Amino acid sequence: MRLVERIASGDADALGELYDRYGRVAFGLVYRMLPSPEAAEEVTQDAFHAVWRQARSYRPERGSVRTWLLAICRNAAIDWRRTRGKRLEREVTIEAAAELLSDARVDERVVSAMRAERIRKIVGELPKEQRDVLALAFWGGYSQSEIAARTGTPLGTVKSRVRLAMNKLRESLEDER
Amino acid sequence: MSQERHVTEDLPAYVLGALEPDERETVAAHLETCRECERDLSQFEEALYEAAAIGAVEVEPPRGLRTRIVLRHRDARVPSTTSWDDRIVAFLRRPLPAALPLALAVLLVVAFVVVGATRQQADSYERALAGVVDGRVVALAPTGVNPNARAAVVIPTQGSAYLVVRIPAPPAGKAWEAWVLRPGASGPTAIPAGIAERGDVFTLPLTVPLSAGDGVAITLEPAVGSAQPTTEPVLVAQRT
Repeated sequence: MRLVERIASGDADALGELYDRYGRVAFGLVYRMLPSPEAAEEVTQDAFHAVWRQARSYRPERGSVRTWLLAICRNAAIDWRRTRGKRLEREVTIEAAAELLSDARVDERVVSAMRAERIRKIVGELPKEQRDVLALAFWGGYSQSEIAARTGTPLGTVKSRVRLAMNKLRESLEDER
Repeated sequence: MSQERHVTEDLPAYVLGALEPDERETVAAHLETCRECERDLSQFEEALYEAAAIGAVEVEPPRGLRTRIVLRHRDARVPSTTSWDDRIVAFLRRPLPAALPLALAVLLVVAFVVVGATRQQADSYERALAGVVDGRVVALAPTGVNPNARAAVVIPTQGSAYLVVRIPAPPAGKAWEAWVLRPGASGPTAIPAGIAERGDVFTLPLTVPLSAGDGVAITLEPAVGSAQPTTEPVLVAQRT
């Protein structure tokens, strides 16, 4: 039985196995978006609880377990900031989120070393302004309109950068598969 | 494939969560019926989150986090059929139930009140809403759990939103809990927004600011409140 199916059937140890596989990257993702380790721990716990509740609705054909889990984590972090995060703390987080990628080593269970190197190269080849809008939207949780206002860039230009960057990312990675 | 125009242009920003609420709703509605755009969505998501996994901070999670997560669910019940969020969505997608025209009728009455109609209200609930002279009023639809329950969200032009509720007193040890339903890529998230241990007609301030596109629901919960809804909603408004 697959891991998510076991979680959906009420197997708490399967949730632990999911944590063994992706807990570190999930916590690292949330940690980058929130102002304190305590907040990151609380949100990571909430995200795994959401996985428990939503396991029955997971559809493998819609994407990998890793993507599903990380999307839940990111949404939980954004919700935390909207409801409990103070604006100042958020600003600090945004300043720290200037780049889409970090230089950190990646767990091989999450992304292989070769793959990680390839992704770094693809992202590195994006124009800086495209990388910036991706980082502001993904890590900062800003909408395109907010990015436009914040950076003094026309909204149409921001939208265009988002499209170009995301299409490049998708095409490059699809070519690899 | 959907007959509507594809949402190709907005899909990348949708995956990033960078659309405005109305744009997001349009894309989400299209994705419900278009396999082609859903496949594109999946590819964008995979690419983005693979990159994000590299962007995550390399940090040691707190000791004992795994244990706490597992123990929290060791004896927990998995939602028996579908998730609570799914049940809300399923309710909202149902063909117009008998309760909905009733709720809309309530809304119509409320609308008259808001524009200053002076006719006498027979019900204290409606009288409570009659006091609303400024702002918007959105009725919540009864789901059938308690067909006689009524509630409306009052969104003043200044100040915080609140609920006007007509509902029986909760059983001992229980309370009515309000939730703000915030749209997300993987479905609405329910955010605790206030508790009332009383019944009859009362007002309940929402402790969470409403954003465009948010919904509101009320469920029966333990008196101390819940982190997530644990029962079927009694009243729901898809968006306010």
